[in-house]
Amino acid sequence: MKLTRRDLLWGVAGTAGLLVTPVPWKLLDDVSIWSQNWPWIPQPAHGPVEVKQSFCTLCPNGCGMRVRMASGWPVGVAGVASHPISRGALCPLGFGVHQLNWHPRRLRTVRHGASSSSWEAAQVAFAKACSEGPIAIIDGYPGRAASSVFETFVQKRNGSYRTVSSPETLALAPYANWSGVPVAGLGYDLENAQTIVSFGAPLLDGWATPGRFTRLWAERAAGSKDPQLRLIQVEASLSRTAARAWQWVSVHAGSEAALAAGVARVLLEEHLVPARGPMPPMTLAEAAGQTGLSTGAIVDLARTMVARPPVVAIANGDNLAIAALNVVLGAAGARGGIVRKSKHTESYASADTGIDSARAVLIDASVPWDFVPPTNAEVFRFAAWDGGSSTADWLLPAPGFLEELTDVPTAPTSAIATYAVAPSLLKASPEVQSAAQFLSGIDPALMTMEKIIHARCADLFRGRAGTLQGQEATPVAKFASVQKLEEQLWKGAVWVDEPPRSTAFRCQLKEWPTTVSSAQALSSSSVNWSNAWRAPVLPPLASKLYQESSLREAPDRRNA
Amino acid sequence: MSTRRNILVFGIGLAVTLLAGWVAFPRVLYVQKQQPLEFRHKTHAEKSGLAECSQCHALRDDGTFAGIPAMETCAGCHSEKMGTSKAEAILVDTYIKPGKETPWLVYAQQPANVWFSHAIHVKRAALACSECHSTYGESDEVKVYQQNRISGYSRDIWGHSISRLRRAPHEGMKMSDCEDCHRRHNLEVGCLGCHQ
Repeated sequence: MKLTRRDLLWGVAGTAGLLVTPVPWKLLDDVSIWSQNWPWIPQPAHGPVEVKQSFCTLCPNGCGMRVRMASGWPVGVAGVASHPISRGALCPLGFGVHQLNWHPRRLRTVRHGASSSSWEAAQVAFAKACSEGPIAIIDGYPGRAASSVFETFVQKRNGSYRTVSSPETLALAPYANWSGVPVAGLGYDLENAQTIVSFGAPLLDGWATPGRFTRLWAERAAGSKDPQLRLIQVEASLSRTAARAWQWVSVHAGSEAALAAGVARVLLEEHLVPARGPMPPMTLAEAAGQTGLSTGAIVDLARTMVARPPVVAIANGDNLAIAALNVVLGAAGARGGIVRKSKHTESYASADTGIDSARAVLIDASVPWDFVPPTNAEVFRFAAWDGGSSTADWLLPAPGFLEELTDVPTAPTSAIATYAVAPSLLKASPEVQSAAQFLSGIDPALMTMEKIIHARCADLFRGRAGTLQGQEATPVAKFASVQKLEEQLWKGAVWVDEPPRSTAFRCQLKEWPTTVSSAQALSSSSVNWSNAWRAPVLPPLASKLYQESSLREAPDRRNA
Repeated sequence: MSTRRNILVFGIGLAVTLLAGWVAFPRVLYVQKQQPLEFRHKTHAEKSGLAECSQCHALRDDGTFAGIPAMETCAGCHSEKMGTSKAEAILVDTYIKPGKETPWLVYAQQPANVWFSHAIHVKRAALACSECHSTYGESDEVKVYQQNRISGYSRDIWGHSISRLRRAPHEGMKMSDCEDCHRRHNLEVGCLGCHQ
């Protein structure tokens, strides 16, 4: 076909004309929407929309959540502003948690080694292991009703109950060792602090209950040159927290303990604090040499820290020198520092030790996927999602998000005790079982979750202390019956204890610690699940928020 | 071919494309669908004492918007025929007596990844219904539902004007329309405000 000048003119005119019509951008818009609605893309069912109050149960922080349900299926979540600890905020994973149940890596079948198996076979194998030797159960979220089932099961069989700690909990371990108060009984009284010195803790990047510090920072520090709350970030790199802090102290990576020793020496030598703790053996010049700071900068930092008390230092994990600095500062057992909660006297043993002689180890789904128990025992691993590269002998599919009833005990770093109930909003498929259900199948005498939660509600009612925080705050003493109290808890209210009369405790520290970490001699299997991203799988929304938009700093970048 | 003839060919080509883009394209793009029933907002507002929109389009106790009233709401008055119109007969015989919901075509239907709270806009922002819905609450007939053949959504999402130029504030329900209104009111909302 011959192309004539007329054809060319028609083509040019047509193209020019088309560009000044709505056709190109309208088609672009419509086609992009059409591509979202392809029939194989799953869509939530249309139907009555209702909003239910619940809690995120993926980690021990138990943030308050509003779950939007369409036709009985969760289609969206949002934070609950009235929640006393999380205060309306959620982490990126929390925002997409409702998508996780449909994740392609959701576990649906029992696996034994590389082959499929059955619940019956798993139960027979675990019961046989129980009869042959000691067993251990590892819990990632102690204090729940399920934890109580685990503890009862191992007590009956002379086994051991172990827990995996987050770095926030590990940071409190030295005070527990020095004072005798269990880690679960300690918390940070951030609300009353005036100066917070963070030694690498990602306070504004997902530390502990994400909403707690970010709200505090927004109210008392953000956008002010002389804020009510001074945040000093000691870190090798300009992390997101360091970039927003009132002061960033850039030190050599791994020299936080040396800086803590240097600061403590200045505080004691200059009598900036009463002589509460031991003098560090490290000289100021040595501290300066290790941290890369000048001696003058360390002196200035020490003076700044005590200029606006109360002051508390927060470590990113188990760091004895930073804990000792808090003792010197008077922050251990004092208002605005590390305080003793009103409840919690239980002490939990770490999963890092004491399980090497076990015949079998059962790992609950609450334990982060990357955790590898230091043992050669037969491992029964519960998980809702397959994160890949599992070394467990048995992989057992657990209920997903809000597919099982659970309770939500106090968040690890909270200074005040709380309690909530997260009812199951979705019916779990018969293919999955929780570890507590699995154990009840072996020992039917174990109490059910409902009964344990009811007993705990009855304890709260009998105690007559604290307040139930729902849409309104109601003192527990005003409830006429335990049923009424329980009913509110099942609807999403949070029980908040009264502030303890005495938060003080005494640390026995005669010499400055010579090792960096009390866990140094232990296995390296301690998990770092809050400041490193250890979720086995990511929901698409969290992936979008966290990875594509870089809202949260990637661990490898922080460590760079 | 002379220059004059070239200009003529170019002009005709341009005119044909412009006509196709501005006039024929919208007609081809949208397919017109009739609602299953005739409905008169005006009659209900003036003669039935339903002067407030919220009397039928209510917020539930948990704050969610009930949207188009369910059949049981209509049945409150129309359990038996209230007139001799064809629409009344269809309503009572086809939907109310068999207990079936009327399959209304929803002009404001958004994709599943969009969350819009009427409660926040009506209660917190104190917006009148007419600010977004114009005078539709006083209309004497239901609009023809124009469905986009490609995306499947109503023309009301894009707005009646195919160019989206000089459209009224209540016209259009695209994300940019939400953003424009929020910007006018100095309100900033993050992605998760609407895409929960």
